[in-house]
Amino acid sequence: MSVFAALNGRAKLLLTLFVLGLAAAPLAADRYLVSVLILIFYFAYLGQAWNIMMGFAGQLSLGHSLYVGLGAYIAAALWTKFGIGPWAGMFAGMAIAMAFGAAIGWLGFRFGIAGVYFALLTIAFAEFTRIAFDHMDWTGRAGGLFLPVRAEQAGQWWNLRGGPLLFYYLALALMLGALWLCAALRASRLGHYWLAVREDEAAARALGIDAFAVKMQAVLISSAMAAIGGTFYAFYYNNLFPAQIFDMSRSIEMILAPIVGGLGTLFGPILGAFILTPLGEGLIAATEEAGLSAPGTKAVFYGLALMAIVWVAPSGVWPWLRRKLGLETP
Amino acid sequence: MPLKTSVSRRAVLAGAAAGSAALAAPSIVSAQAGTLRIGVLLPRSGLLAQAGQSCHRGALAAPRVLAELGYRVELVHVDTESNADIARTQAERLINDGAHVLTGAFDSGHTLAIAQVCEQRQVPFVVNIAAAPPITEQGLKFLVRNFQTGPQLVTNGLRLINNLITATKIAPKRAVFLHANDTFGQAQRNAMDAIFPRTNMPFELVESIAYDPRAQDLSVEVTRLRSLRPDLVLVVTRASDAIKLVRDMVRQRFEPMGIVSPGSPGMYDEEFYQALGPLADFHVSNLPWVNPKSAMTQALERSFAATNPGNRFAADGFNAGFTFEALLIAADAFKRAGTTSGVPLMEAIRATNLAEHVMIGGPIRFDEKGQNPNIGSACVQNRGRTPVVVLPEDNATMAPVLPMPGWQGRT
Repeated sequence: MSVFAALNGRAKLLLTLFVLGLAAAPLAADRYLVSVLILIFYFAYLGQAWNIMMGFAGQLSLGHSLYVGLGAYIAAALWTKFGIGPWAGMFAGMAIAMAFGAAIGWLGFRFGIAGVYFALLTIAFAEFTRIAFDHMDWTGRAGGLFLPVRAEQAGQWWNLRGGPLLFYYLALALMLGALWLCAALRASRLGHYWLAVREDEAAARALGIDAFAVKMQAVLISSAMAAIGGTFYAFYYNNLFPAQIFDMSRSIEMILAPIVGGLGTLFGPILGAFILTPLGEGLIAATEEAGLSAPGTKAVFYGLALMAIVWVAPSGVWPWLRRKLGLETP
Repeated sequence: MPLKTSVSRRAVLAGAAAGSAALAAPSIVSAQAGTLRIGVLLPRSGLLAQAGQSCHRGALAAPRVLAELGYRVELVHVDTESNADIARTQAERLINDGAHVLTGAFDSGHTLAIAQVCEQRQVPFVVNIAAAPPITEQGLKFLVRNFQTGPQLVTNGLRLINNLITATKIAPKRAVFLHANDTFGQAQRNAMDAIFPRTNMPFELVESIAYDPRAQDLSVEVTRLRSLRPDLVLVVTRASDAIKLVRDMVRQRFEPMGIVSPGSPGMYDEEFYQALGPLADFHVSNLPWVNPKSAMTQALERSFAATNPGNRFAADGFNAGFTFEALLIAADAFKRAGTTSGVPLMEAIRATNLAEHVMIGGPIRFDEKGQNPNIGSACVQNRGRTPVVVLPEDNATMAPVLPMPGWQGRT
């Protein structure tokens, strides 16, 4: 609650309206809009997870699909092979993702691998994990892992077996939960340490901050959050393929929302997801309507729109919008 | 210094409101009365673009043929961008926009993402191409698949290798199975491991080699292959790696009796012919294929030539044929059901019995799982840079040639 209390009056009002609006949206929205909103919440959530690493602690990860994939595969495999429910599977996935995160973090931070070299390290881990899963019998190798979809399980919400509304509210809860967690972390001593390390690591060390421990905490929290997102993905789509879930394009998709929304801000990943996902969907409809049927037309316009956004708001849309809405704390 | 832009708060709010309204408002159904509106979801861009575009060309050729047959359909084409997220949301949008039936989606993952939407919204989904067995093992009531499963592809592919050996009077003793280590290739490997030991083939399968389809070349794999001295090389490829494979075989002067695919794309794709020229000839793909002697196939070929003047039907036959048949199944069911309502339309689709169609095989029918068990396979050999049916004899337009001629001296 202290996070909410720190907001100014207008921010509290807008946040309340935003949350209430989203909670009530399925009453008015059709199935298509609900499915788009689920994607928005999902990418906003993953964007928050990545933002802890890059936005708060200043560590560039281009392999976050690794943690999403591990969370997805572990939970899905425990469910399909042993009937272990997704909630328990989620914790197992988090633990394994955190172990991978710890290994990457230890290698990177212990041996001073920073910047783009740290990014390469994260890509390397994601790639060799993809190749490993391509050959693992237990998870169906490259042929994929399929979660059974049975009519008799349709109402088992506790096993994440349900319709779009279940996943809508779950994704909404994930997004809002991540917002609250990130706000709390940002306001904490750890959050301030992250910012100090991000701005000038040498100066932070000189002030007595244990930069290694602080960065390790960032990678552990971020990987655990991404793994939860993976569990959601597995039970929403009900099929997993290493080439899709561990692919670098997934990592890039994940980081676009916080970059466009505003790196290192709390609401940036959410705003970014609210811009990018509808933009993609809108462009599909618009190019179709305009009769531009050549494959890839949408991608061209999407790229142009991204360039325009970055040109108009180089620090992200949220800092600009926050000023316009008068939400800055005096 | 504050960044100045010409975008006002009012403009942003108005834009957001307009965007939300555009997303939220259900689109007005504009299909003409008595017309079936079919959403065609294919990966026309991204990783699977080559195959998706090939399927799309079949969909473009379909309405003219269906109209000649007395069916009225309106197609709405959607690019899934080789992305399951987009496949799922676009399936929702198509249904919102009044699509009565969906078809697609070439990729098994995308197919399952769309199938869940169709199941929840009680809209029929006719799968054109997707080989993963779980698609018809999940008890989905609003899905049928007019395509062979991975194990069926391999079983029929191996049976045809036997027929090919008999027809060409060759006597191979050793074979190696080389496959792309991707979703499809791995499914084929699993099927091969399970099925080959039970088939009593006249040759020994010496080894199975998986390769990364993203590799720059396959020289290491070909060196290994050469050391194993196989008479036949059985391959599961995509177009780009099939090209790399043949190039590395030529470079290393490795000449087996034949290169045969027991059910995969790659060696009949236009890119393969364009890249390899005469080196593309005499390779064999055993897989479902358009029946060149069917009147409906000939009609589809004419329409294809008119709607896709820059492409050859011969090279697109597999993808275009199955995509056309998915539309034919939906259109025929609509004619019999007389309604676009999901439940009766699905009942009509499940009761399909189409003796006349374009792919080789028996009548199109569906079993209780929604799988068509009557799809046949053919030996398709590259001859003069064109895929030609050489077996079974009833459908063949040429006789098979094996051993294949050496790489040297081909023109």
